[in-house]
Amino acid sequence: MTEKTAKADEQEQVIFHPDFFKIPEDGSKPYLVGLKCRNCGQLWFPKLPICPACWSETLDESPMERVGKLYTYTIMNVPQPGVKAPLAIGYVDFPNGIRVGAQIDVLPDQMKNLRIGMDLQVGAGVIREDKNGKKTISYVFRPLAASKGGK
Amino acid sequence: MRDVYVIGVGMTNYYKKSPLSAADLGRQAVFNAVRDAGIGPKQVQSIYVGEMPGLSGSICFGQRVATTMGMGGVPMMNVESACSSGALAVNLAVKDVANGVTDISMAVGVQNISATRASGTAFSPDANDPEGVQGITMPGIYAMRAKRYMEEFGATPEDIALVAVKNRRHAMNNPRSQFHDPITVEQVVNARSISDPLTLLMSCPNTDAGAAVIVATKEKAMQLGSKPVRFLAREVTSGIFSNGFRDMTSMEITVRGAKEAYEIAGVGPEDIDMVECHDAFAINEHLYTEAMGFCGHGEGVEFIRSGGNDYGGKVVFSPRGGLLSCGHPTGCSGAAQIVEATWQLRNEAGAMQVPDCKVAMTHVTGGGIYGLDNAVCTIHILSR
Repeated sequence: MTEKTAKADEQEQVIFHPDFFKIPEDGSKPYLVGLKCRNCGQLWFPKLPICPACWSETLDESPMERVGKLYTYTIMNVPQPGVKAPLAIGYVDFPNGIRVGAQIDVLPDQMKNLRIGMDLQVGAGVIREDKNGKKTISYVFRPLAASKGGK
Repeated sequence: MRDVYVIGVGMTNYYKKSPLSAADLGRQAVFNAVRDAGIGPKQVQSIYVGEMPGLSGSICFGQRVATTMGMGGVPMMNVESACSSGALAVNLAVKDVANGVTDISMAVGVQNISATRASGTAFSPDANDPEGVQGITMPGIYAMRAKRYMEEFGATPEDIALVAVKNRRHAMNNPRSQFHDPITVEQVVNARSISDPLTLLMSCPNTDAGAAVIVATKEKAMQLGSKPVRFLAREVTSGIFSNGFRDMTSMEITVRGAKEAYEIAGVGPEDIDMVECHDAFAINEHLYTEAMGFCGHGEGVEFIRSGGNDYGGKVVFSPRGGLLSCGHPTGCSGAAQIVEATWQLRNEAGAMQVPDCKVAMTHVTGGGIYGLDNAVCTIHILSR
């Protein structure tokens, strides 16, 4: 890739969604942001304007732990347009009681090593690319031992 | 509320690629249902049409179907909740008659998928959905249910395949079905993987079809000499948002919907002779036999291995061949299930006939939305 196109790609990146996860500028690891209702204490993810339980409009950001357990997953061989197959996707249960669904960023030959109950951590990655090359960056899950691996 | 009867049903074939437009599929179903009822088209006092818009690209699709058949001038409403659209149309038609708003009402479900959608892509949640944007597909969601179900209850790919094989065997007796060739467990498990562990033959195909159901008061049904088929329950419920650790092997919205439907109907699972369920994927009969109370949670494996969901078992699931073999014309399927259940209760189902079929249940869910088990669940219980 030439420097010129790399730059163009960089400009075409969108983050889904800055309210949902943070990539700290100090270089520390990305994490998801839950929302805690100041009135009833219920936790939600991702950000909601009104607490579904009590209709309070005051919800405080509550950073989530970075590691959770894989509840279930699949490897999709027939994907949505804009997403490359095979693609692993799964639901991860976090210690605060929140379940989050997202892509699992592992190489195709590593997908056989995925197991229900394994620990996965939150990272940032490209989750889709439209036909004009515009990339969407969002949270993904990665195995602990291979935090820098992936596609 | 007044009792409501089915007086006429009609449908098209389930087409892989329909020779008819979406509107013509609807017209053919309506024509057949009006003729079956033995009424004139102008006797229908309200019309509800279920279709997944955005697929047909049409607005006011119902008017496109019915007004050129001389049925305009009455309340006509287009309803949508994904795969439940056709069943929702029936619910609303029945509600009009039950509440005394009309004496005769009609529901139509239509979908022409092949004209509007490329094959080889999977239905998916909205692109603005937090899980939709991650690339999740409907097969992916059900594959994750299957994966967890296998882990918890020891089901194997062969167990899941049993449902696809059974429904194909049933479809061989259904002249309208998309598929008629028998399949084996080995073929099903070795078919191309769609979303692990679900293979192509464990997934319903895209399909085009139309179905129509005309309902009326008891008095009208008796005057017309219809074979009596009565609604014991019409149940619609929506998903409940949760971010928590939902048990994905227990179909929350169907557990809740079935319980409410049984209470309204005054029957229990032991009274049901046949079920047309939302078998979009072969794992669904494990999940739904349990959710509807035909066996306990986790007991679906043994229930299905022993043929509990087949002819000669406790209840016949998908006697028409289900979505798996007939195909899934999304907005039509809910209405099509009620057409097929009516034929069973009238003892007109030919080689598909469930012996002495007294009570039938139809069930269709719909919609992939994050935080919900499903967006919608629609259940009807009918009796002869």
